[in-house]
Amino acid sequence: MNSSLKLTLLAENVDLRARLETAEETLRAIGGGEVDALVVESVAGPQVYTLQGLDAETSRSRDDMLAHVSDAVIAVDNEDRIIYFNAAAELLYGVTASAALGQTRSKIHETSWPHPDDEAAARNTLRERGEWRGEKIHITQDGRKLNVESSITVPRRIAGQPAGLLAVIRNVTERTKHEEKIRASEMRYRRLFEAARDGILVVDPHTRKIIDANPFMTQMLGYPHDQLVGKELFEIGLFKDQAASQEMVRQLTREKEVRYENLPLESLDGQHQEVEIVANLYDENALPVIQFNIRDITERKRSEEHVKLLIAEVNHRAKNLLALVQAVTQLTSKYGDPVTFAARLADRIDALAAGQDLLVKSQWQGVELSDLVVAQLAHFEDLIGTRVLIEGPRVRLTTAAAQGIGMALHELATNAAKYGALSNPRGEVRIAWQISTAATPAFLMSWLEEGGPKVTEPTGKGFGQIVIGRMAQAAINGIAETTFRESGLAWHLSAPVENALVLTEMGTTDEFAYRRLC
Amino acid sequence: MGKNAPPTIESSAIDALAVPSAAPRYVLRLYIVGFTSRAARAISNIRKICEEHLEGRYDLDIVDIAQHPALAGGEQIIAVPTLVKKSPLPIRRFIGDMSHTEHILLGLDLRAAAEQHALTTKS
Repeated sequence: MNSSLKLTLLAENVDLRARLETAEETLRAIGGGEVDALVVESVAGPQVYTLQGLDAETSRSRDDMLAHVSDAVIAVDNEDRIIYFNAAAELLYGVTASAALGQTRSKIHETSWPHPDDEAAARNTLRERGEWRGEKIHITQDGRKLNVESSITVPRRIAGQPAGLLAVIRNVTERTKHEEKIRASEMRYRRLFEAARDGILVVDPHTRKIIDANPFMTQMLGYPHDQLVGKELFEIGLFKDQAASQEMVRQLTREKEVRYENLPLESLDGQHQEVEIVANLYDENALPVIQFNIRDITERKRSEEHVKLLIAEVNHRAKNLLALVQAVTQLTSKYGDPVTFAARLADRIDALAAGQDLLVKSQWQGVELSDLVVAQLAHFEDLIGTRVLIEGPRVRLTTAAAQGIGMALHELATNAAKYGALSNPRGEVRIAWQISTAATPAFLMSWLEEGGPKVTEPTGKGFGQIVIGRMAQAAINGIAETTFRESGLAWHLSAPVENALVLTEMGTTDEFAYRRLC
Repeated sequence: MGKNAPPTIESSAIDALAVPSAAPRYVLRLYIVGFTSRAARAISNIRKICEEHLEGRYDLDIVDIAQHPALAGGEQIIAVPTLVKKSPLPIRRFIGDMSHTEHILLGLDLRAAAEQHALTTKS
């Protein structure tokens, strides 16, 4: 016998021995009752013949049913090894039954409990009652986090011993996410409701009684929440009686949204406040409710009134100013050279504008006299403190006084620059004011020039003289005097304090807080 | 045959049959039919054997021929549960609920390893 044939025979022998062992083992297993079914090869493929009777049939049909349920079904033995894993479980955990069977559950998923004590509680319940139902989190092998609802029972053998566990597991991840979204949304809107700076009332349209109110509403009305709930709307003054309240509901049913302006709201202490209300009718869990958003408009009303007043005042002042401009224009054209009309008029309007700027800056609450002097002598800024000396307490001129004195200062300065103390290199101007301490305090102001060219009294009255005379007098309802001294022009103005100055709450101006700019 | 001559195909096959590698990877397939207590026992027992003696070097597939009867074709399955050792060669079949641990360890060529394991455990 050659070696090749010998090897072939050896291999055949090994194969035959194996087959014989398999056959003997099959017989032993059948004899020992360890076999569930026999498989016979046929033309149509393998045919499976089960060896049990009705019980096996029942078991198989139960098996078929479990394979088709949409919930995952997992059975484990007493050692927690998986002995059943249906198609839904394969889908849920991404593991084939083939890979899962015989494994412990921890190889398929990790379990996380919503609260630390839940696991021990579930074990106790299973031990005592043989069943447990609840929610937990399964983390799959591929890292997915599943919210599951488990129903676990302890199957018993005929003798009563426990035979592992049977778990029916429903994936509620989407539902949980949805519920979490709803919870977050509820919390968000609850916070809006509670933090709103408008009053919110929720009312039952059938009874017209309040069923909820936000904290701001209870604050507006002065009622504690529990006293407000159950009240009818007319009881808090929103509608004069039940009939009006019913009419509101009818209108709301037709139009879904109704707006009310200026309704009176009555608080617990009987006080009324003006409110604006927007009422909406909508469904809450298929039941209609009315939501009232209530805004206290007292402040807004006050603000609107204030704006109206301001507009009227601005209009009035604009007209005054225009009248003043008109007068200045007429007088400028009447006196002086027509060739220089435009330049003179522009200068005077600039002087008016400088005073106007100061008034606007102080919101029409008067003008500091020292600021007015500096503004009108802006062209001589370099001389202030040397040849232009300014001295006086801190006082605030009224609007009219500021306009009149401002124009007068402009004319005086222009005249001094052209013909007076500021027209040569040596002259000086001293501008001073004070409040006399006589029984009736008076405002006194002076413009004194020295060291300029020799002064002679003009033969006629020009525009400048009208401004420093009549116009200044009219502005403060006082007296203006101009003296043409040879050494220089002197201008004196006097008036009762209240005609020229804005009085402080103390009844007078700031006491002699002299501000020397020189 | 010369001393340095390359081995013939037949001799490779014989070598494979006669001299298994030191730590071969086991490929096992367990055929069951539905959710029966025998199937459950068979699954549980074979997993336990694998975890104890073949940790990290086995692949165990469980095939339910109630759901996939065609998978039993060509595997010479006569009765279920049947465990087929597909690798390493030779192919071996074990029938029943896999409760005869010694017999299976012997058939899987794991008896020596099992004894060694037992000694280690005892010591």
